[in-house]
Amino acid sequence: MKPRFARLALAVGLAACGTTPDERPVTIEVVALSILAPTCGQVQCHSTATHLQGYAFDTLDAARMAMKRLVSTTGGRSKLLTVLTADGEERMPPDAPLAEEDIALIQAWVDAGAPGL
Amino acid sequence: MITRIFLGLALLLALAHRADAYPQYQLSRDTTCTGCHLAPDGGGLLNENGVGVAEQTSWKGGDGNFLHGMARPSWLELGGDVRLASGFVYPGIASVAAYPMQAEVAASAGAHGITVNLVGGLRRPDEEGSALHVLWSREHYLMWQQHPGEGHGLYLRAGRLMPTFGLRLAEHIVYTQKFGGRQLYGEAYALAASYVTSSFEVHASGFVHDPIASAVEHGDGGAIYLEKRIGAHAAIGAEGKYSSSDDLHRTFGGITGKLYLPDADLQLLAEAEVIRQTIVAGTGDTATQFAAYVLASHPLGKGLMLDGGLGHFTQDTRVKGLTRDCVDLNLHWFQTSHLEWLVTARLELLDLGSGTNGGYALAQLHYRL
Repeated sequence: MKPRFARLALAVGLAACGTTPDERPVTIEVVALSILAPTCGQVQCHSTATHLQGYAFDTLDAARMAMKRLVSTTGGRSKLLTVLTADGEERMPPDAPLAEEDIALIQAWVDAGAPGL
Repeated sequence: MITRIFLGLALLLALAHRADAYPQYQLSRDTTCTGCHLAPDGGGLLNENGVGVAEQTSWKGGDGNFLHGMARPSWLELGGDVRLASGFVYPGIASVAAYPMQAEVAASAGAHGITVNLVGGLRRPDEEGSALHVLWSREHYLMWQQHPGEGHGLYLRAGRLMPTFGLRLAEHIVYTQKFGGRQLYGEAYALAASYVTSSFEVHASGFVHDPIASAVEHGDGGAIYLEKRIGAHAAIGAEGKYSSSDDLHRTFGGITGKLYLPDADLQLLAEAEVIRQTIVAGTGDTATQFAAYVLASHPLGKGLMLDGGLGHFTQDTRVKGLTRDCVDLNLHWFQTSHLEWLVTARLELLDLGSGTNGGYALAQLHYRL
């Protein structure tokens, strides 16, 4: 009985650890300023100082302009999510991929029609 | 034609870097940043003692002065830095890439404790801007020093400079710099005061973002750093910064520690920061972040230094899984007083390895003019 109880407790514990809800608002501000700015918007990459490939993510205005070209508001796969989840050389950022939680929040924002874009 | 020349130069500058200090040397030599540098918070141009340290600690030494001893008037100090790099980035680009990182000249001119200081050169081009964008001045400020040439006392500065706080490590990718409010090219227009003694130093600055050049620091605010020596081989510090832009209010607070272990010839540097970030645009949001870094440095022989670093960054304490940890390894070979070779590698773990990992391995060449 004791080993079974221990396994049950462990399973409940692990499940609880893995299901912490993401409390962040699903908004363009969080997508742009909390997720994309510190990762994609570093100065040597897609910043307002470089506009690498024509994109900048270090301010809300710049990120909004960039995402208008990268996010579909009418359904279909967005280029933004394609590059964030790609394999190999296509993936961005190249040296430090985004966390799954961040990608999930961006996906939720896109699925909601990219409000604020 | 001129546009083509500028574009050609710009394309050579694919990744940026800046010349900063090596605080690994501070406590092993029982000194301050001003023991080796002209600026009160270190980095950039070396003073006479700093040139001597470069000559003594490098493998082959040589004249460490500007261009190996080029004659110049006593009121003028000149310098500069060129960096090149090549290596692997994983997993996005698992192939060799080679690129220039820095090409800058520096000058300090003046007398009787008043100097005009300038750092300028090339930066990465703006693909939607003018070709002239690649030419810029990262720092330009006027400095008054209470005791000229002595490396202690009061310093006042006004102009474009990096507000001083925290550890100022040479590698800008260190988490407490990259995420902790000291990004590469984070200089702003500031009024700054520093008071440096052998037992403590205080740096305070108020700043506004650059309204003309595209700036990394988009906010206005202030920064403060205090460091107290504890005996000959230890120091503790406290840091703070506030920055307010149209998008974000960010408050940084943290501590630093430095410890030199003479028997092991090991220098330990540590920094931990809490960052409170409030989005003021739109519906808003507030997140608490945490960044920390520990660096251990040990000389392997004349001209050789090995660094091992551990970094941690929590992007948002409310969300499980939004953490990054890194292991850094840097091997410096100071071949001459002007020439440094660096092999640097990072393994980055998302959510302690349960997420996708990243990293890089680069060889860098740094030539100090």
